[in-house]
Amino acid sequence: MKTRLRVLRAEKEWTQAQLAEAVGVSRQAIIAIENGKYDPALPLAFRLARAFGKNVEEVFVWEDDSLQEK
Amino acid sequence: MPTTTTPTSSHAARTFWAALAVGSAIDLAAGWLLRQPGYSPNARILFALLPIPLNLVLVALIVRRIRQLDEFLRHVHLEAVAIAFLLTGVAVFVYSYLQQAHVVHPLNFGIVWIFMLVFYGIGYVIAARHYR
Repeated sequence: MKTRLRVLRAEKEWTQAQLAEAVGVSRQAIIAIENGKYDPALPLAFRLARAFGKNVEEVFVWEDDSLQEK
Repeated sequence: MPTTTTPTSSHAARTFWAALAVGSAIDLAAGWLLRQPGYSPNARILFALLPIPLNLVLVALIVRRIRQLDEFLRHVHLEAVAIAFLLTGVAVFVYSYLQQAHVVHPLNFGIVWIFMLVFYGIGYVIAARHYR
Protein backbone atom coordinates (compact mmCIF):
# COMPACT_ATOMS: atom_id res chain seq x y z
CA MET A 1 0.00 0.00 0.00
CA LYS A 2 1.33 3.45 -0.92
CA THR A 3 0.64 6.54 1.11
CA ARG A 4 0.62 10.26 0.38
CA LEU A 5 0.90 11.04 4.08
CA ARG A 6 4.29 12.75 3.86
CA VAL A 7 3.20 15.00 0.98
CA LEU A 8 -0.06 15.95 2.66
CA ARG A 9 1.72 16.64 5.94
CA ALA A 10 4.26 18.84 4.17
CA GLU A 11 1.43 20.80 2.51
CA LYS A 12 -0.08 21.48 5.92
CA GLU A 13 3.40 22.21 7.35
CA TRP A 14 2.77 19.82 10.23
CA THR A 15 5.52 17.93 12.01
CA GLN A 16 5.26 14.19 12.52
CA ALA A 17 4.70 14.81 16.21
CA GLN A 18 1.83 17.22 15.49
CA LEU A 19 0.13 14.75 13.15
CA ALA A 20 0.65 11.95 15.68
CA GLU A 21 -0.96 14.08 18.39
CA ALA A 22 -3.87 14.99 16.10
CA VAL A 23 -4.77 11.36 15.39
CA GLY A 24 -3.80 9.96 18.81
CA VAL A 25 -0.82 7.76 17.96
CA SER A 26 2.91 7.79 18.60
CA ARG A 27 5.39 9.60 16.35
CA GLN A 28 6.98 6.19 15.64
CA ALA A 29 3.66 5.10 14.10
CA ILE A 30 3.63 8.10 11.73
CA ILE A 31 7.27 7.45 10.75
CA ALA A 32 6.56 3.77 10.01
CA ILE A 33 3.44 4.60 7.97
CA GLU A 34 5.18 7.35 5.99
CA ASN A 35 8.08 5.02 5.20
CA GLY A 36 5.69 2.33 4.01
CA LYS A 37 6.88 -0.06 6.73
CA TYR A 38 3.51 -0.32 8.43
CA ASP A 39 -0.03 -0.35 7.05
CA PRO A 40 -2.50 1.17 9.51
CA ALA A 41 -5.77 -0.52 10.42
CA LEU A 42 -8.94 1.03 9.01
CA PRO A 43 -9.86 3.22 12.03
CA LEU A 44 -6.41 4.85 12.03
CA ALA A 45 -6.45 5.19 8.24
CA PHE A 46 -9.79 7.04 8.50
CA ARG A 47 -8.51 9.26 11.30
CA LEU A 48 -5.42 10.16 9.25
CA ALA A 49 -7.50 10.91 6.18
CA ARG A 50 -9.93 13.07 8.13
CA ALA A 51 -7.05 14.98 9.75
CA PHE A 52 -6.31 16.21 6.22
CA GLY A 53 -9.96 16.57 5.21
CA LYS A 54 -9.58 13.79 2.64
CA ASN A 55 -11.07 10.39 1.85
CA VAL A 56 -9.03 7.30 2.71
CA GLU A 57 -8.47 6.61 -1.02
CA GLU A 58 -6.86 10.04 -1.40
CA VAL A 59 -4.30 9.24 1.30
CA PHE A 60 -3.70 5.52 0.84
CA VAL A 61 -3.41 3.76 -2.50
CA TRP A 62 -3.85 0.01 -2.73
CA GLU A 63 -1.36 -1.46 -5.22
CA ASP A 64 -2.17 -5.18 -5.36
CA ASP A 65 -2.37 -5.88 -9.12
CA SER A 66 -4.13 -9.22 -8.59
CA LEU A 67 -7.21 -7.40 -7.31
CA GLN A 68 -7.37 -4.77 -10.05
CA GLU A 69 -10.06 -5.07 -12.70
CA LYS A 70 -8.89 -6.37 -16.06
CA MET B 1 -1.26 21.72 18.56
CA PRO B 2 -0.93 20.34 22.12
CA THR B 3 2.20 18.59 23.36
CA THR B 4 2.53 14.82 23.16
CA THR B 5 3.00 14.10 26.91
CA THR B 6 -0.23 14.27 28.85
CA PRO B 7 -0.46 14.60 32.66
CA THR B 8 -2.26 11.23 32.68
CA SER B 9 0.58 9.40 30.93
CA SER B 10 3.26 10.90 33.17
CA HIS B 11 1.19 10.05 36.25
CA ALA B 12 0.83 6.46 34.98
CA ALA B 13 4.59 6.29 34.37
CA ARG B 14 5.33 7.57 37.89
CA THR B 15 2.90 5.02 39.35
CA PHE B 16 4.55 2.22 37.37
CA TRP B 17 8.12 3.13 38.37
CA ALA B 18 7.09 3.57 42.02
CA ALA B 19 5.39 0.15 42.03
CA LEU B 20 8.44 -1.37 40.30
CA ALA B 21 10.81 0.14 42.88
CA VAL B 22 8.71 -1.02 45.84
CA GLY B 23 8.14 -4.43 44.23
CA SER B 24 11.87 -4.91 43.62
CA ALA B 25 12.61 -3.91 47.22
CA ILE B 26 10.07 -6.45 48.50
CA ASP B 27 11.56 -9.14 46.19
CA LEU B 28 15.07 -8.45 47.53
CA ALA B 29 13.81 -8.35 51.13
CA ALA B 30 11.99 -11.69 50.69
CA GLY B 31 15.16 -13.25 49.22
CA TRP B 32 17.24 -11.89 52.09
CA LEU B 33 14.77 -13.13 54.74
CA LEU B 34 14.72 -16.62 53.18
CA ARG B 35 18.51 -16.82 53.45
CA GLN B 36 18.42 -16.07 57.19
CA PRO B 37 18.38 -19.04 59.60
CA GLY B 38 16.01 -19.40 62.56
CA TYR B 39 12.62 -18.74 60.97
CA SER B 40 9.81 -21.31 61.19
CA PRO B 41 8.58 -23.11 58.04
CA ASN B 42 5.34 -21.09 58.15
CA ALA B 43 7.27 -17.83 58.32
CA ARG B 44 9.38 -18.95 55.35
CA ILE B 45 6.23 -19.67 53.32
CA LEU B 46 4.99 -16.18 54.18
CA PHE B 47 8.32 -14.64 53.06
CA ALA B 48 8.19 -16.64 49.81
CA LEU B 49 4.66 -15.41 49.05
CA LEU B 50 5.34 -11.82 50.15
CA PRO B 51 6.20 -10.48 46.63
CA ILE B 52 2.98 -11.78 45.03
CA PRO B 53 0.53 -8.89 45.74
CA LEU B 54 2.71 -6.07 44.45
CA ASN B 55 3.90 -8.14 41.50
CA LEU B 56 0.24 -8.67 40.55
CA VAL B 57 -0.24 -4.90 40.75
CA LEU B 58 2.73 -4.51 38.40
CA VAL B 59 1.21 -7.02 35.97
CA ALA B 60 -2.07 -5.06 36.02
CA LEU B 61 -0.23 -1.76 35.42
CA ILE B 62 1.72 -3.24 32.50
CA VAL B 63 -1.43 -4.70 30.91
CA ARG B 64 -3.19 -1.34 31.32
CA ARG B 65 -0.23 0.42 29.71
CA ILE B 66 -0.24 -2.03 26.77
CA ARG B 67 -3.94 -1.32 26.22
CA GLN B 68 -3.16 2.41 26.10
CA LEU B 69 -0.53 1.97 23.38
CA ASP B 70 -1.44 2.75 19.79
CA GLU B 71 -1.81 -0.09 17.27
CA PHE B 72 1.70 0.33 15.90
CA LEU B 73 3.45 0.16 19.26
CA ARG B 74 1.31 -2.84 20.24
CA HIS B 75 2.52 -4.47 17.01
CA VAL B 76 6.17 -3.76 17.88
CA HIS B 77 5.74 -5.05 21.44
CA LEU B 78 3.99 -8.18 20.16
CA GLU B 79 7.01 -8.95 17.97
CA ALA B 80 9.34 -8.26 20.90
CA VAL B 81 7.35 -10.65 23.12
CA ALA B 82 7.36 -13.32 20.40
CA ILE B 83 11.13 -12.99 19.93
CA ALA B 84 11.69 -13.09 23.71
CA PHE B 85 9.44 -16.15 24.08
CA LEU B 86 11.20 -18.10 21.32
CA LEU B 87 14.75 -17.11 22.28
CA THR B 88 14.04 -17.97 25.93
CA GLY B 89 12.83 -21.39 24.79
CA VAL B 90 16.04 -21.89 22.79
CA ALA B 91 18.18 -20.72 25.72
CA VAL B 92 16.41 -23.04 28.19
CA PHE B 93 16.77 -26.01 25.82
CA VAL B 94 20.47 -25.32 25.29
CA TYR B 95 20.98 -24.84 29.03
CA SER B 96 19.22 -28.13 29.81
CA TYR B 97 21.45 -29.97 27.31
CA LEU B 98 24.55 -28.35 28.83
CA GLN B 99 23.23 -29.42 32.24
CA GLN B 100 22.90 -33.01 31.00
CA ALA B 101 26.50 -32.75 29.79
CA HIS B 102 27.46 -31.61 33.33
CA VAL B 103 28.92 -28.39 31.96
CA VAL B 104 26.66 -26.05 33.98
CA HIS B 105 24.92 -26.07 37.38
CA PRO B 106 21.16 -26.88 37.66
CA LEU B 107 19.02 -24.07 36.24
CA ASN B 108 17.95 -21.33 38.63
CA PHE B 109 14.42 -20.05 37.81
CA GLY B 110 15.63 -16.49 38.40
CA ILE B 111 17.98 -16.88 35.43
CA VAL B 112 15.02 -17.68 33.14
CA TRP B 113 13.46 -14.35 34.13
CA ILE B 114 16.72 -12.57 33.28
CA PHE B 115 16.82 -14.41 29.91
CA MET B 116 13.30 -13.18 29.19
CA LEU B 117 14.12 -9.57 30.08
CA VAL B 118 17.29 -9.51 27.99
CA PHE B 119 15.62 -11.21 25.01
CA TYR B 120 12.63 -8.86 25.28
CA GLY B 121 15.03 -5.91 25.01
CA ILE B 122 16.72 -7.50 22.01
CA GLY B 123 13.34 -8.28 20.45
CA TYR B 124 12.15 -4.70 20.94
CA VAL B 125 15.28 -3.28 19.26
CA ILE B 126 14.90 -5.72 16.32
CA ALA B 127 11.19 -4.93 15.86
CA ALA B 128 11.63 -1.16 16.25
CA ARG B 129 14.48 -1.10 13.70
CA HIS B 130 12.45 -3.21 11.26
CA TYR B 131 9.63 -0.64 11.14
CA ARG B 132 11.84 2.46 11.18
